[in-house]
Parts: sequence; C-alpha cells; structure tokens
Amino acid sequence: MNLRSNAADEAFRREVASWLEQHLSGEFAQLRHRGGPGDEHSFVEERKAWERELARGGWTCIGWPQSHGGRGATIEQQVIFNEEYARAGGPGRIGHIGETLMGPTLIAYGSAEQQARYLPGIREGREFWCQGYSEPSAGSDLGNVKTRAELDADSGQWRINGQKVWTSWATESDYCFVIARTQPGSVGHKGLGFFMVALDQPGVTIRPIEQLTGSAEFNEVFFDDALCSAEDLIGGPEQGWQVAMALLGFERGVSTLGQQMLFQNELDQVVAAARDNGADRDPIIRQRIADAHIGLRIMRYNSMRMLAGGEDGSLSKEAMIYKLYWSSWHRNLGNLAMDVLGAEAQLLDGDGYQLSRLQGLFLYSRADTIYGGTNQIQRNLIAERALGMPREPRG
Amino acid sequence: MDFTFNQDQQMFTETLAALLAAELPADRIRQRWQSDSGIDAALAAQLVELGLPAMLVPEALGGLGLDATDFIQLAECCGRFALPEPAVEGALVAAPLLVDIIHGNPSAAPRLTALLEELMAGEAAVAVGHHLNPYVNFAGQADWFLLGHGNAVHLLPASEVAITAVKSVDPSRRLGELAWRPSAATLVADAELGAACWRATLNRGALGNAAQLLGLADAMVKQAVAYSADRQQFGKPIGVNQAVKHLLADCAVQIEFARAPVYRAAYTVAQAATRADWAVSHAKVVAGEAAQLAARNSIQVFGAMGYTWECDLQIWAKRGWVLDREWGDAGFHKNRVHEWLVQPNALIGPEYTFGRGDQPHAR
Repeated sequence: MNLRSNAADEAFRREVASWLEQHLSGEFAQLRHRGGPGDEHSFVEERKAWERELARGGWTCIGWPQSHGGRGATIEQQVIFNEEYARAGGPGRIGHIGETLMGPTLIAYGSAEQQARYLPGIREGREFWCQGYSEPSAGSDLGNVKTRAELDADSGQWRINGQKVWTSWATESDYCFVIARTQPGSVGHKGLGFFMVALDQPGVTIRPIEQLTGSAEFNEVFFDDALCSAEDLIGGPEQGWQVAMALLGFERGVSTLGQQMLFQNELDQVVAAARDNGADRDPIIRQRIADAHIGLRIMRYNSMRMLAGGEDGSLSKEAMIYKLYWSSWHRNLGNLAMDVLGAEAQLLDGDGYQLSRLQGLFLYSRADTIYGGTNQIQRNLIAERALGMPREPRG
Repeated sequence: MDFTFNQDQQMFTETLAALLAAELPADRIRQRWQSDSGIDAALAAQLVELGLPAMLVPEALGGLGLDATDFIQLAECCGRFALPEPAVEGALVAAPLLVDIIHGNPSAAPRLTALLEELMAGEAAVAVGHHLNPYVNFAGQADWFLLGHGNAVHLLPASEVAITAVKSVDPSRRLGELAWRPSAATLVADAELGAACWRATLNRGALGNAAQLLGLADAMVKQAVAYSADRQQFGKPIGVNQAVKHLLADCAVQIEFARAPVYRAAYTVAQAATRADWAVSHAKVVAGEAAQLAARNSIQVFGAMGYTWECDLQIWAKRGWVLDREWGDAGFHKNRVHEWLVQPNALIGPEYTFGRGDQPHAR
C-alpha cells in the first residue's frame, strides 16, 4: 500500500495540465465542459476534431502498451490524465468506446492483422466505434441474441441479419462490434461470434430513439444482409461470448475513471448552484452534498483498488460492486440537483425540449441504473458470483 | 375513525374515472403537447358538466355544497389519468378562494359572486398566483387572476397581467411568469383577510397535489406491473424475478401508507381548516415520496423502454416530479410538520393521535 504520488507523477500531471491549457484554446475553447451526459449532441464534428488534436499530442489511448502506439501509462498516470482532463473542462470523449472497449479487446484477443487494421484509426481519432450487444429480446438476457451471421462460402464474407438496439453513438460511428449467432439453432452463450462491422454500407440502417430527455443518444441498428469480412471476426465463430464478456470487463475498468471526474464536475456544479440560490444554507441540502462527496470519494478509492488488480479485463469482486454503486449514486445526485434548484427545476430554456445541464443530469441518470446491466442484474451477479449464493433458475 | 367513502362519493369517482378512461387515452395527452393551449375544450366542458368546479362551493352560492372529503378521490382520479386540464386547481383552489373572500369581504362579494358563477359554469377560468409557486400553470388560458401582494389578495382581468410563457419539463403544462400592478381597484382582500385566505389556499393546493401524486403513483405501478407480465427475458416474464417484484411491492407499500394521510388531510381541511397545516404537510410529503419512488421503480421495471420518449410512463413520471415541487416542496412541508411539533401547545400524545386532534374545538 502506497497512496502517495511520486515526483514523476507530479511532473506528468504538470505536463498534462499544460498541454490541455495550451490546446483547449482557439477553435477548441468553446468545447470546454461540453458533450457530457444530456449534452451528447453538442459540437459533434468539433469534438471529433478535438479527438484528432488529442491524438497529435499523444493523449489518446495513453493506457495502451507502447507496442500498440499507446504511452503504456501506469494506472496512476491514467488517473492523473483523467483528473486533469476534467479539471480543464475537456469535452465528452467521442472516441471512448474505441479507446477503452474495442482497443483493449483487440489488443487482448485480436490477431496482428486486425490490430494493424483497426488500432491506428482509434488511436488517431479518425475512426469511431459503437457497441452492438442489446436486441429487442436480449436486454438483461444478453445470451438471447437473435441476430444471425452466415458465412457465404463463395465470397468468404459473413452476411449479418437482425436488429440491435440502445446502441449509443451509432449515427456518429464508423464501426460497430456486433455479437451474432453463427450456429443456427444454438441457444444462450454458445454459437455466437464477435464481428467488427462497417456501418457505412447498404445493409445497415440506423434509426435514432428519442429518449425522455428529448434527445436521442441511443439508436436502433438494423442489419439486412450487411457484410462483414471473415477477417473481421475476433476469435473463432463460436468464441464471441468470451470476447464480449472480456470487453465488458474493460468497460468496468479504467474507463470508469474519466466518468468519476465528470461526476466531480457535476457535483461542483450542484454545489455552485446551491451557493447561488442560497440552498446551501438548508441543513438538509448541506448534509446531502456531504453525502454525495463521501460517495464519490468511496468510488474513487474503490476503483483505484480495483484497477490495481488484473489487467486482462477479468472481473474481480470490486469490479462487480462498482456499477451498482455509481449508478445509484449518480441518480441520487440528479435528485439532489433538482432539490437544490427548487421551483426552477422544472423550467426549460430555449426552443424545443432543451434541458439544462442539471436537468439533463437528473433525467439522464435514470438510464444509469438500466444500461450496462440493470441494478437488479448487478445484485444477482454480486450474490451469485461474488458471494457464491445459489443461482436463480433461468429459462 | 372511519376511512370508508360513502356510496355517493364512490359513484362520483367512478363516473369521473369512466369519463377520463374514455376521453383521455395517453395519445390524447400527447396531442395536447403539440397544441398551443394544451387544453381540450370539449373535455374541460364535460368536467364542468359533472359539476367539478362547483363541488366545494356552498349551496347558498349556487354550488354543490360538498367538501374536501367528497373531492379527494376525484383529485386522485385526475392524477391517475394524468389529466392536463387544471380541474383540481379550479375546484379545490380557485373556487374555494373566491368563496373565502366573498365570506370575508362583503363589499367585494357581488362581483366575486358573479365571477364564481362564471367559474362554476365553465365560462371563466380563474388562475391563482401563490408566492410559493413562481410559475402559474395555464396562466395564458386564464380570464382572471387572484394574486398575492404581501398577504393581500388582488383580482385582475387577464388584460391587466403581463404573462411571460415559460416551458416546463412536463410538456402537459403551460407555465407563465406574471407581472402586474396592484391598486386599490384590484384589492379584494386586505392583508388580514388575505393571510387567512392564503393559508387555506396553500393547504387546499397542497392537498390537491398530494391526491394527484397518489393517483399518478398508482397508475405508474399498474403500468409497470402489466409490463412485467408481458416482457420476457431468460425465457420467462421479468415479473417472476423477486428483484423486479420487490421494486413494485415497495411502491405499493408506500402508496397505501400515503393514502390514509391524504384522506385524513382532506378530512381535516373539511372539518378544521384552520388547523390543517400539519395534516396537509404530512400528506404532501408522503404522497410525493410515493410518487417519486413509483416513477423511479416503474422506469426501472420498464428497463431501457422506460427511458424512451415513446413510452407513456414519462407522462406520469414528469407530472409527478413537477407536482411534488408545487405548493411547497418536501423540505417546506417537513419544516411545517416540525414547527407544529415543537410548538409548546402542540396537540400531540396518544389522546390526539386519533379522534380528539381532529375536533375543531379541542384546544
């Protein structure tokens, strides 16, 4: 145990801070504090340009090994980067699915050819990714995916048919990683493949889903004879489930650190709003703000503990409790924000259904306890896998 | 102590429920979102025909002479169907406030009586601006305004009130911020009479919201229960899972334990209006909590669907979030309960928990 930062880390912190200070300026100055939850659709093109700017400075994919173009940054350095990024008001990262999910999965399970083909696009901020897991009948029951992939013997290509849903960023992405059934008649986790599918092709149709926030971060993605080269299958045609689960392990890993810094910014905003309108004089609001701070620190310490463990994306007990904790914490922060705002909480500004950042926080956080495994599924995982309790009968 | 409703009260509620079930499916509410007024004139007229705005008006003033216990289930029913029209405000807030002023200020009585008659006939809409509510719902549709200036009450025609429309997260609402000038001509209740009027109005407004919150909560849970039987995962309805059952069972418990305080508050408003503060505040707090939990857990049961614009649940959830903050938020009402409890002569103790505490002359 050593919780102190060393001189090298502090030098790294200064390097990050000074780079961001210099580069979040000019055309990028307007991006500060934009693009977070509830604000996903602001400045999309500008934020893609920002990804390329980050890449030019070597600040994308810093946790990737140097052999794959990353910095091989330590966990401490990645934390520092995320902290400084949030402190500088760096915009919501459009490249995060590629950087934190697809990239590590390719590095762990992809072939050398696949790595050479896809990693540079992610690292350079040129190519963006989305996740094709959920389907209308496969939500919590992810093993129930019905999307089919058939290998066309003549062309050597896979033909994909089916529908994915709740796909974040599909309209802005170049590729989607898709789990699809390669074995007709197979059920559950068997007979699935993990495909990297280009979205810009005639067989793919994307339809945004309007949310109760009035915005549309999620999409339906339809595959009608969409084509995927045989080289774009990770692992064998029946190893998709293992790859997909390993990827989820990465989802609960380092990528959570950036999120915590975003939470810190939101909490700071709530505190600022309370100072502004005098809600901070209310003893109950004061206590709830303190509770929110305590919860955020707990998340921080726990994720550091969790990240010090294995780096292959495998789930540890600490990782399993994290989703349940942060999603509930974030939802409560949304409630607190609305209670701080008081009567103004219900007012909308501008044209259409335009939410303020704190309103967005409140409504957006309703999805947090659902996507990526509902709180109910998380509790089952904790009970069954961490505590070893008997499994709930299925099917 | 008898919490049961009589046959007349139940029949009235069933009549309203049947009307709203027929006239107010969710897609009609969505149609209102697209319209400027946000009101369906035909339905509003039917509510007048049922006698809603006349219910709490004494027979001597041309009303039905009923009280808050007769109205409380109707308010709950309006919540259950997420009625956008301000029927509860008209019946439980605007009309009784006019009655209070008519009784307290004989010189203003003739014109207020005429206005009250128009209100009961559905010919005039009267909006009430209480200092706790900075935004007035359906201000743009009102013909007259009863507004507070200090404790005094002023009556102004719409032509003398500047309305700035502001938008609510609940698309069923049409909020306005008001600017107006009080004058001797607009004064209908001086500060002394007004103070009593506003206190009673706050209690009736908060009671109306508490009842609507109860109805909203109930409706959300019913939708979630139906969905949990419908939606299949792992080869069976999601509702067979305890994790899902318990979410909604928790809501049912909160709703049922909120119901009694809401009905009790209605009784106290009807029987001992000057001492109703604590009962109303109790009701508003627990009904609000029930609605918040029902919104949260029902969305959770619907999963990602519950988070979409397409899912009707948002109609109820957003109304609940908004009504919980109107007529005083939870903090305001908890403070009122607290202040009542720490009074040196507070009527607490076993002899007041049931029975005597409700008697008008107990103190």
